[in-house]
Formats: sequence, structure tokens, C-alpha cells
Amino acid sequence: MAGAFDFAPAIILLPFLSFLLALTAGNRMPKGGAFGGIAATAGSLLLSIWMVLTVAGGATYDETLYTWVAGAGEETVSLTLGVLVDPLSAMMLLIVSLIAFLVHVFSLGYMNDEGEVGLPRYYAGLGLFSASMLGFVLADNLLMAFMFFELVGLCSYLLIGFWFREPGPASAAKKAFLVTRFGDYFFLVGVVAVFATFGTAQFASGGGTESFPALAEQALEAGETYFGFDAQTWFTIVGLLVLGGVVGKSAQFPLHTWLPDAMEGPTPVSALIHAATMVAAGVYLVARMYGFYALSPTALAIIAFVGGFTALVAATMGVVKKEIKQVLAYSTISQYGYMMLGLGAGGYVAATFHLMTHAFFKALLFLGAGSVIIAMHHNENMWDMGGLREKMPVTYYTFLSGSLALAGIVPFAGFWSKDEVLYEALVHGLGGSPLLLAAYAMGLVAVFFTGFYTFRMVFLTFHGEARSDTARDPHGVRWNVKAPLVVLGVLAATAGFINMVPVAELTGLHIEFLHKWFEHGFAGLTVEHYGTVLHDVAGYTAAEGVPSYAAGVVSLVLALAGAGLAHQLYNVPEPVEHTQRLGGIRDVLFNNYYQDEYQVWLADTVTMGVARVSDLFDQNVVDGVVDGVSAVSLATGRRVRRIQRGVVTDYALLLSLGLTVLVVVLGILGGWFA
Amino acid sequence: MILSEVPPTYYLFLSAAVFSIGLFGILTRRNALMFLMSVELMLNAANINLVAFSLFWGNVTGQTFSLFTMALAAAEVAVGIGIILVLYRNFDDVDVTKATTMRW
Repeated sequence: MAGAFDFAPAIILLPFLSFLLALTAGNRMPKGGAFGGIAATAGSLLLSIWMVLTVAGGATYDETLYTWVAGAGEETVSLTLGVLVDPLSAMMLLIVSLIAFLVHVFSLGYMNDEGEVGLPRYYAGLGLFSASMLGFVLADNLLMAFMFFELVGLCSYLLIGFWFREPGPASAAKKAFLVTRFGDYFFLVGVVAVFATFGTAQFASGGGTESFPALAEQALEAGETYFGFDAQTWFTIVGLLVLGGVVGKSAQFPLHTWLPDAMEGPTPVSALIHAATMVAAGVYLVARMYGFYALSPTALAIIAFVGGFTALVAATMGVVKKEIKQVLAYSTISQYGYMMLGLGAGGYVAATFHLMTHAFFKALLFLGAGSVIIAMHHNENMWDMGGLREKMPVTYYTFLSGSLALAGIVPFAGFWSKDEVLYEALVHGLGGSPLLLAAYAMGLVAVFFTGFYTFRMVFLTFHGEARSDTARDPHGVRWNVKAPLVVLGVLAATAGFINMVPVAELTGLHIEFLHKWFEHGFAGLTVEHYGTVLHDVAGYTAAEGVPSYAAGVVSLVLALAGAGLAHQLYNVPEPVEHTQRLGGIRDVLFNNYYQDEYQVWLADTVTMGVARVSDLFDQNVVDGVVDGVSAVSLATGRRVRRIQRGVVTDYALLLSLGLTVLVVVLGILGGWFA
Repeated sequence: MILSEVPPTYYLFLSAAVFSIGLFGILTRRNALMFLMSVELMLNAANINLVAFSLFWGNVTGQTFSLFTMALAAAEVAVGIGIILVLYRNFDDVDVTKATTMRW
């Protein structure tokens, strides 16, 4: 019987076909291959909706489709490609394919209508990216996830460097590739470690009982030791290795530096890759193997702390930026910090909820920014904008919806998800984890900054008087820009209603639909199971008597305070830069805490030093051995060739002498003369 | 038959002597034509062996084989004389110790 799940691989293959089509025949197609991409992602979207509906009916699916290295016995491992559809991946499929579809439509307005060249290359990149991201989401084992993770990184490189003839994008693409690759090395080592430890890297095989998180759980109970470490320490090490890839891809401190530079790419690419999907890959990976991380309180604490710290640091940097996309870039880093905080604090549902709402509102904000950039003839400086509210009402109101969601103002989507993240951090912190409380405090302070920079951006862009000629007479945008904005604007306003925990608590209604959504699926991959493991193994206990609406009110007040300050400072007809008042901090913020500088310094001194020593070793020792061997052969050859005199009589003599010696030796050994 | 009364050892000694004369010629002479002749001697030493053992065992295969060897020797001489002609054309001599231009 052909059920919905038999079509799951088609979700990956459709965008891949559009990639091949755009690559081979893009030049001969109308709109540079755009329609192929739109059709393919629309197909993926429809299939994803079908998946979600099927999963909502209680079904799940885990199937190995192709074994590319077959294990030859008990002790060997098999490397496979497979598909895993459960509530988490179904939700993510829906997000990725929806946003990929809308971004393809938006690209018609941003790329085609603006007369860009090289469009087949652009649409090929988008298609390959959609395919690899969907493949990553559907991956049923860690190695397959890693392969698609790398493909996603490659597409990011290709698309950031789309305008590769200019120095900025080319260098940003290289930076993004290298920085994320740095994290991926740790991930690769982690994948190998998982294989070496468990012999499998399946997320959910055997109905969730033969997956590697389940094996880890059993090993922990049995008190096994690995490579001289006790099980818990070893799992922490493995978890942190995999986390290296997560930190790189999800732009967490200290590997966040690539993301702001990645804004050099086309804006739809920023929306698709650097806000809604690729950056989400890291967080999704942690959620995917959450059963494994839940076994290690140390890894969880590090995730939470890094997340909280990143949320705060990135939010403060967003406060002083001049370019609209830079503000959004830092807000992206900050929001992913919240997701990591949620995961580390034991709020699995909260983090995935924030992942979903953030994907909607951040894609919306980037596409809105793209619309503004079209209107401003590709000038991104907010100080040249102003007064765009009357000129482009659709963009304004949708952008406002996204901004309210980003700032976390009730009742927009970001409020519900961000507050659940903070609430989880608070209750688990009060339950006996001071580190989580510190992370919570940083997240809470970041709420204020988020409210401030969000509304600074809104007021500078849309309010006040126009500050340049282009802002007085902006370029119009067409339906293909407005339609995606409207869809996402509605979602950013309403997506939060699926999981209103504070309202559920106040009214007693059971309307936390996302919690229920994650309650079924494979044994060992459900939210109840994670809760049990977190409580029993990681020792997470939730403090009693902290009402979620109280925590919500606190962060709402902070967000409103930030927005109010922005209103005071920037919602005036002729706003001025107030950054002078920051004094010395201003330079630090403008220079992004000198993160780039110290990383370049590290590369220049430490890495170059190590490379020089390795080079010396290679040049002298390794090459010395090789050269020595060949020198010995050469010298020997030079001497031995002297017997080759060219006189045929000598050869005959050598032949007969050799034969004689051979016969004599054989005779002595064979006992002829005995 | 009188031949059958000669023991095979005699033939072997004869063959060894002919072979050694041929080898001696190759090792001491410098004239390429003398080389060819010496090689002929060595081939015929082998032929003597073949025929002698063939007679001893009463099996004609060895004698047939020696006919082949003779044909081979004729072919070899044809090739060898060709080589010697070219040698002479290039070096104005048939002295094998002078043709040493293909060494290192």
C-alpha cells in the first residue's frame, strides 16, 4: 500500500530535480529556472503538509532506504541512508518547505525584476539548498545528517558568494565556509565517536529502542566505561564534539562571526539560509538527538550557558548597527541563543516552538527588509531611510507584525515561544542550577535589548521624515514580494496560538497543542521520555509555584521598556544617532567586541605558528626521509651501472659466470656433491 | 648397430667440449663473425645432446627437435648477419668492443 510515507523521499528529490534543471537548462527557461524551483518547493510543501497530517494521525516512519556500506558481522557498522518522519521532523519539514517556497516566489521580485544576471546559478543554488536542508531534516542517522549538514554549508557558500565578482561577497562566503567548517571538524569527530561507541548512529531504529541515545541510556544504567572514561563523562565529550558543529552552524558564540558577514549575499538567501533554515540546522540537530544530550547535565549546562550568553552579546551588538540587514543578522544570532538556552534548560518543546515561530517571523523580517532594499535601490543604510510607512503600507504592516513577534510583544508569536524558553530556564534554574539562573538572567536582559533594537530599526526605517531622495520616492514592489510577506505576516501574528502555555495555566484549558504534538512518536523520542531522562539522569527538577504568566509579564515589561526607549529616542521626525552617549562602549559594540580581530590574531599567531612548525617538519623530516631513500637509490645506481660497459663480451662473461655460480650453489644446496 | 654400443657418456663429453669451444670463442674473440660461428657451435652442442638421448631412449622426438633447432639456427644466422652488416655500416668495423655507444 502506498501511504504518505512512501513519498517522503520525493520531498528531497523534487528540489534536487529543480537544481539539476536550473543548472542544465536554466538559460533556456523563462525567468532563469525560477518556475521549476517554485513548482518543486510547492510540491515539497504539499507533501510536507501531507506528512504533518499523517503524523497528526499518530503514524511515524523510520525506514532505511539504501545501505552504501554493509557491515559484515556483529562488530562492524553499516552506513545507511534512511528517512525518519516523526513529530519533530514533520514540523521542521513544514517550516523549511514553506519558507523555501515563499523565498522562491520572493526571488522573482528581488532577483528577476531587478535584472540580475546569473539567475540559473541562483535558482540552482536555492534548489540544492532546499533539497539538502530537507534531506538533513529527514535524515534517520547521524552520518546522513552530517552529509547533508555539509551540503547545506556548501550551498550557503555558493549563495553568499553569488555576486562573486565583488570582493565583499567572495570573502564573506569564504569566511562563512571556513568558520562553520571549523565547527564541523568537531562534529565529524563526534560522528566517528558515536559509531565507535555504539556501533550505530540511528536516531530511532527499532522503534526507538536500538537508537544510539537509547543504547547510551542503557550503558549509563549498566555503568559501563568507554576508553577509560565512565559513561557519563564520555557521553559529555561526545555530545560536546557534536555540539561543535551546532555552534558553528547555528552561529553561537564564539563561532557567530560569519553570520553578519553572510549578509553580503542576496536578501532572499539571507531569509532562507541565515535566518530560517540553515542556521536552524544546528538547533534542530540538538533537538533530534535530545535523548542523548539529556543524559549529560554538563553538556546541557554548557548549551544553556552558551545560548544565554550569545543571546545577550548578539543583542547588544545589534543596538548600534546602521544597516537594516546587520540588525537582523545580530537578532538572528541572539534568537538562536534563546533556542539553545531553551534546549539546555530542559525546555525541548519551548525551544522547538521558538525554532518554529522564529523561522516565520525572521523570514518575514528579512523578506520585509528585502522589500525595503528594493524600494531603496539597494541602499541598506537605515539612516538614509525614514518615512517609508506611507509609501509601502503592505511592507510596513507585515514588517511590524514580524517586529512585534521578534521583540516578544503579546500576542505575537515570539512572545509565547520566547517566554516559554525563559520560563523553562527559570523553573529549572530555581530547581537547583545556578548556572541556568545565570543564563536565564542573560536571556532576560537580552529581551530589553531586543525590544530596543527591533523598534529602533522599525522607527528608523518607516517612521519620521524621509532622509534621502530615494526614501522620498521609493521604487515600487510587486505582488511577488507582497504575497510572501502577507503569508508570513499572518503566521508571525498567529503561530504562537498553538502553544499558549500561560493562557492554558490561567484558564485551565488544554490548549498547549505543541506539547501534545510531541507526546507521540517513537518511544524514546517523545517529550515525556525526555522529561523523565532529564529528571532522573541530569537531575533537572522544576521549581514549584512559579506561574508562567508571571515570568511572561516580567519579560513583556522588559520588551516594552526597550521598545519604549526606542520610541523616545528614534520615533521623532528627525532622529539622530544617540550612540555618542555610550562613550567607550560604543567602539567596542561597533567593532563587535573585537571578535573578528582576536580570531584573526589567533589565526595569524597560533595557527600560522603551528602551520610553520608543521611545514618545517614536513619539509625537513618527511621530505628528508623520502629524499634520502631516493638519494641512496641514485648513488647505488650510479655505481652499479659501471658494469654496463657496452662490450658484448663482458655481458656474455657475466652471463656464463652467473649461470656457473647458480649451478654450483644449487648443487651444493641440493647435495649433488655429497 | 655399432653406434648403440657407444655409451651416452661419450656423446655428452663431446657435446660439452663443443659447447665449451663455442663459449671460449664468444669470450675471447672480438670479431662479430666469429661470434656467430661460436654461437653455431653451442647450438650444435645442444643438438648432439638431443640426438644422443633420442638414440639412447629409442624415441625420435629428440631428433625431430634437433631439426627444428637447425632451422632456428639458420634463421638466427640470417638475422645475425643482418646485424653485422649494419654494425659494419655504422662503425666501419665488425669489432664488437668498438660498438659501445648505447651504454650509459
